[in-house]
Amino acid sequence: MFITEIQAISPQNTYTNKGINPIVVHNGNRYYAIEPNYSGIISPNQLRRMGKSLRMGIGAAMPIVTKHSDIQGIILGSADGGLEDCIKFLNQIVLYNEGTLSPTGFVQSTPNAAAGNIASMTKNSSHNCTHVHGGHAFENALLDAFLLAETQQVEKILVGNIDEISDFNYSIEMQGNWFKTEETNNTTLLESNTPGTVCGESACMFLLQSHALHYYAQICDIDVFSFPESNEVEQRFHAFLQKNAITTQSISRVYLGYNGDSRYDFQYKKIETLCSYASNIHTFKNLVGEHPTSIAFAVYLASLELHNLPSTNIPCYTLIYNQYKNNQHTFILLRGKNSA
Amino acid sequence: MNIYITGLGCISAIGNTVAQNRESLRSQKHGLQYAKYLDSRYAHEKYFGEIPYSNEDLLKKLSITPHTELTRTDILAHIAFAESISQAQLSAQEISDTNTAFISASTVGGMCHTQELYNDANCIGSPSPYIDSYNCSSHTLHIAQQYAMRGITNTINTACSSSANAILYGMRLLQTKRATRVIAGGVDSLAKFTVNGFNSLQIISNEPCKPFDQQRNGLNLGEAAAYIVMETETTCKTKPRLAVLSGAGNASDAFHSSALSEEATGVVQCTEQALQQAGLLPHQIDYINAHGTATDNNDGVEYKGFLQLFTNIPPFSSTKSYTGHTLGAAGALEAVYSVLAIMNQELYPTLHTTNPMHSSLLQKYTTQQITHVLSNSYGFSGNCTSLLFSKA
Repeated sequence: MFITEIQAISPQNTYTNKGINPIVVHNGNRYYAIEPNYSGIISPNQLRRMGKSLRMGIGAAMPIVTKHSDIQGIILGSADGGLEDCIKFLNQIVLYNEGTLSPTGFVQSTPNAAAGNIASMTKNSSHNCTHVHGGHAFENALLDAFLLAETQQVEKILVGNIDEISDFNYSIEMQGNWFKTEETNNTTLLESNTPGTVCGESACMFLLQSHALHYYAQICDIDVFSFPESNEVEQRFHAFLQKNAITTQSISRVYLGYNGDSRYDFQYKKIETLCSYASNIHTFKNLVGEHPTSIAFAVYLASLELHNLPSTNIPCYTLIYNQYKNNQHTFILLRGKNSA
Repeated sequence: MNIYITGLGCISAIGNTVAQNRESLRSQKHGLQYAKYLDSRYAHEKYFGEIPYSNEDLLKKLSITPHTELTRTDILAHIAFAESISQAQLSAQEISDTNTAFISASTVGGMCHTQELYNDANCIGSPSPYIDSYNCSSHTLHIAQQYAMRGITNTINTACSSSANAILYGMRLLQTKRATRVIAGGVDSLAKFTVNGFNSLQIISNEPCKPFDQQRNGLNLGEAAAYIVMETETTCKTKPRLAVLSGAGNASDAFHSSALSEEATGVVQCTEQALQQAGLLPHQIDYINAHGTATDNNDGVEYKGFLQLFTNIPPFSSTKSYTGHTLGAAGALEAVYSVLAIMNQELYPTLHTTNPMHSSLLQKYTTQQITHVLSNSYGFSGNCTSLLFSKA
């Protein structure tokens, strides 16, 4: 499918789609998103009641869905949904000993609230789904779009990710030794050589079309696998390239999910070594922080990069490789617009 | 391409196995009572479809040795998953095949351990053993790891239609040849979190629920896990074909976060899609396993949808009057019941209802010829899904 519109809210200045330079510096363990002014996008009344994940998701989606009234699917990936609202509601349950509670936190915290809100705000009754499969939540949203397009002959689908930093998921993950105990920043994170990473958040939205003349990038294929054995990442890499009839020489750009965690970064090194012909090796978690759906931010950056390349007749491929906690692994293959 | 159902597995308040569930449905024995294991002040005020075993006793039913501490949600999922793959005679090698997909669903995940989550999220005391297991996807990943699954795995959360969408997603993976075999379904266990959430919306009944009664007064929450194995001609070969998944439809009601629209937009649209995919006309439906939560809004709008879709409404019932509303597991549990109805040519009536909204509401057990069954699931945020099962 073809990516024809992109919009992102992230810890970098992405909302204008003009590139991420100069880079916004983040220190410490939490890379918070730079939220746009939502006035004109979400009504003040609605905005007041929305948690961060909901407003980021809707804020990123609205510029696309209001421009395209003929969208035939709204598909999101979010590992945790509105976790901040969810735990606030939980705390009220405990604090008031299961007394009378306002349902707002309960209703708005469910991960499917964002896709539901986008549908009701635009009166769009088409296919609507929310995938919550941790480090494969966004990937399954992408796959869902492929399935919808191929089986229902659908042309235009909104696909995106939403994950927020909440105090609570930070506390839970910190106790699970997922974040660093020492101070790092954007520039030192990936060289830290210590266990743990930093926490990030984003909402990246894409309009995917089955057919398009003008587009940012074509999504050629996705491969997802879990709990690989020792050589399986390399095996899956070679099989993925073979399935798409390309060789390592054809991959000119690579996005790798290095997150500075000394326990798992070795997996990225393997793919970096295999992609020795690539002219550009990019990292992205030093910009956006780690979160289960951060690969969506890599798709955003890669789309922007491919879009800005000068025209050539040589097919230009970008490979994205990411893994979450070394449990859930993904390859995504993109092709530039100027390919022969 | 025909999608065959070759395995079923479920555990609910009315039985630990598919056979026990069927026996309870046939004998009209519901499982709604005060809760014994749910930690909530409402445990003895409201009726629940609780599975009547402690976590320790449920763990004894597992045939595997788990890698980690399992939540109640994980345990229930494991039990139903094991039954479904056993009936479908899937070998360990077939389950590990890269072409075997596992698509699950949940809305509460490990949050059933509400007190531990409260402590962990607020950094009270030392971390609980469930620290990595609160997420909706935890049970899916535990099972994928346990069975060394190498194909596509996924977890869907579209509220109360979650596992119906897991089945729809599995169907499309088969149709596009991204998988040759799919195990799909879902799980949810009772949790203080959801009990208080639904209670804050004032839609929990104080008595066993009365779906499609003119005086219906709300739902009962329940817990369950249910999975179905789906295969195509190439993989199911000589295996018994329990039923065919002939159609599925997904639509958004695009109206409200916790209520369905008076126009029944999503309700009508998802059924129309399922019928269209199956190449069927409304009058060919022999039975509807309705969503039928027994809330004023759901049953009213679902019924309005029936009036728009059918000239003569076929026999319909809501098996939530046996199990309670099992949320993310409901679509898959009712898919299992729909397949049972087809396999055994029998229909399970709605219980507790005394003033039905329509004469087609089934109120007694009947046997009759059944070829096509429609199963509906609707979730908060307008997520509406219909599945259509047909005789193999």
